[in-house]
Amino acid sequence: MSKIGLVIGREYSSRVRKKSFILMTILGPLLFAGIIAAAIWVSVADNTEHEVLVVDYAGMLSYVNPDNGRMEASYPEIFKGDEKLQFHFTDQLPSDSSFMNSPYTLMLEFDDSILAAKKAHLYYKDLPSTQVSMRITGALENGIERVKVRENDQIDYHTYKRLKTSISLAKFDIMHKEDASLDQEKGIVGMMLAIIIFFFIFLYGSQVMRGVIEEKSNRIVEVIVSSIKPFQLMMGKIIGIGLVGLTQFLIWIVLSIVIFSVAGMIFESGGFDSVAAVNGLRSGGQTPIDFETFLQQQDGFSLLVSINWPLILFMFFIYFIGGYLLYGSLFASVGAAVDSETDTQQFLMPVMLPLFFSYFVAIMSVNNPEGFAAKVFSFIPLSSPIIMMIRTPMNSTTIWELLLSVALLFATAVFFVWLAGRIYRTGILMYGKKPSYREIWKWIKFNS
Amino acid sequence: MNALEAKHITKKYAEHVALDDVSIQVPEGAVFGLLGPNGAGKTSLIRIINQITGPDEGEIVLFGESLQAKHVSNIGYLPEERGLYKKMKVGEQAMYLAQLKGMRKQEAKQKLEAWFERFEIMAWWNKKVEELSKGMAQKIQFVTTVLHEPKLLILDEPFSGFDPINVELIRNELMRLKDEGASIILSTHNMGSVEEICDNIALINKSKKVLEGRVDDIREAHAHQEYELRFKGTAIAFANALWTNFELLSQEGDQDLQRARVRLGEGMKLNDLLRAVVDHVELIDVNRNLPSMNDIFIQTVTQNAEEHE
Repeated sequence: MSKIGLVIGREYSSRVRKKSFILMTILGPLLFAGIIAAAIWVSVADNTEHEVLVVDYAGMLSYVNPDNGRMEASYPEIFKGDEKLQFHFTDQLPSDSSFMNSPYTLMLEFDDSILAAKKAHLYYKDLPSTQVSMRITGALENGIERVKVRENDQIDYHTYKRLKTSISLAKFDIMHKEDASLDQEKGIVGMMLAIIIFFFIFLYGSQVMRGVIEEKSNRIVEVIVSSIKPFQLMMGKIIGIGLVGLTQFLIWIVLSIVIFSVAGMIFESGGFDSVAAVNGLRSGGQTPIDFETFLQQQDGFSLLVSINWPLILFMFFIYFIGGYLLYGSLFASVGAAVDSETDTQQFLMPVMLPLFFSYFVAIMSVNNPEGFAAKVFSFIPLSSPIIMMIRTPMNSTTIWELLLSVALLFATAVFFVWLAGRIYRTGILMYGKKPSYREIWKWIKFNS
Repeated sequence: MNALEAKHITKKYAEHVALDDVSIQVPEGAVFGLLGPNGAGKTSLIRIINQITGPDEGEIVLFGESLQAKHVSNIGYLPEERGLYKKMKVGEQAMYLAQLKGMRKQEAKQKLEAWFERFEIMAWWNKKVEELSKGMAQKIQFVTTVLHEPKLLILDEPFSGFDPINVELIRNELMRLKDEGASIILSTHNMGSVEEICDNIALINKSKKVLEGRVDDIREAHAHQEYELRFKGTAIAFANALWTNFELLSQEGDQDLQRARVRLGEGMKLNDLLRAVVDHVELIDVNRNLPSMNDIFIQTVTQNAEEHE
């Protein structure tokens, strides 16, 4: 085994055997699942009353009642509503201001293109809960299916499956139509990934720093660098710890899949009956739905099923590796420059600042992933790993943007690793007084 | 052949010159003392030999070959700043360090077990280093330094911070390794140990080598013609017997046993001294008085300082 391999092996095995690592690795996905369960529960427990104006241009689901001249539902049993949700029909789109002044809280808009596109628009004054939009979607799907089945008296299961329609609602805030809220929901996934990548870079990067300080304060480092080049030792440490991070993430993915499968099995075997009942999930009490469909209908979580996970996870790995290399080498330099963790503050500031800054830019980008700030900072390597985790799931990037951003990230990471190597090889052998930035600059400039 | 030759080594740091044209020769199989005050450049030279840093100018030749990466496994290095991973188990850690030196797992295990048996520390194998006392950890550090049977051992201040029992143990082990053919460089302040165990020394002061050679030769060269005599008789009789050509440096004792230190004057021999006193007192023994390495060290360093002023 090569010497750098030995270092990687030591760094890796000493960390994955730690109780804290095992605990975090197991608890992570449980925590994740818990958050999702809590979010579902919250979305279920909603008591707002809604009046929905259905703008049915083509008269697919409504007709003019000759008795009173008003538009009414063709299938009143589907759109009968209750005290929490009432449907009203029209064939003309009101102006935004008249909608704003009307008692209606939501406006559902579609024409006959819905048969092919399976898309409808939902305008809102306040974003409706998952439960409400799911009921609207359910009613609309049911209605459209009725339209499709109208001429079939007897249909077999395959025909039914073919006719069965799942419609996605594109939601728009009536006040800011350009801000499509669907992106906001996709942003939830991005947000989670951004938080995870932020913590991964931060936690594992600072582990590199602590590892370097440990070797320095234990006075073992000079023994080691008499057997192996300082750069190899540093790289071994960075790679070893990075692999620990990747291992944790992989285990999280596997455990998450297991948890979701188990939850799915429980759901389908009736364990979720109460939730399903509240949501009126069983269409007309006839068609029990599977867990995947259930998740799909949960607007916020439909992405968990429909999102391009392989691409997102691949990008996560790429950006984690790049961001971690970049920040990890910065953390390694900080560790090499000081004698103990209490001395790190002064040098940690310039490392943490861009990391936290990126995090805040990321939060802003959820609302405006195509905005100037989001675009600029998704190319700056110090912030791109976090910002791109928001933008990628929101589909607001092009492949060229991704490639350019990744290329810039890795080029900078390599440069930072080189820089860190020069600081490291001098820093690890310096004890006593804390160096100034000027001295560190000299370490970089002078040959060792 | 020399185990190691440093040829005209110069090393500059941002603010100062650590080594200025330093050359040393370490004969094979010798214990070589690298002496000098703090900050003289000893550790800089040792780090260059260990390839931790590189020289700006000059060359290191190890057993006839120009220094290369592969020589790492020929050198055992115990730095002044030495320690172990506190959270790691003793055996695991020793194995890790041995493998870093290029030993194979099997071989490292066998040799480690042999050393652990010899030092009677086998029971520590699965203990974490933080559970050990300082003295115990020092033993482990020594074992990991010599385990791969390096042809050249470099110990930076090996006796500082070690407890007296370990100092004795390590001194004996060093002598044993020397007998087995290892060449040893040790940097030290402990001048007592220099006289006792070093065959050769180099003295570095203010980045320059100021003295190098065999310990015996150096002491000889720095010796004034001084002798210590022990005799029976009166002090006055002895003092009167010396002519102006001899200088009585000190005298103590009583009628039964007197001890006197005498320095010979220009052109005088021991025989002249003996001739002068032999009829006046009853001589018991006469010894050549060689300066201690400590005296030479202080003398050279202060001289050096005066020259610089």
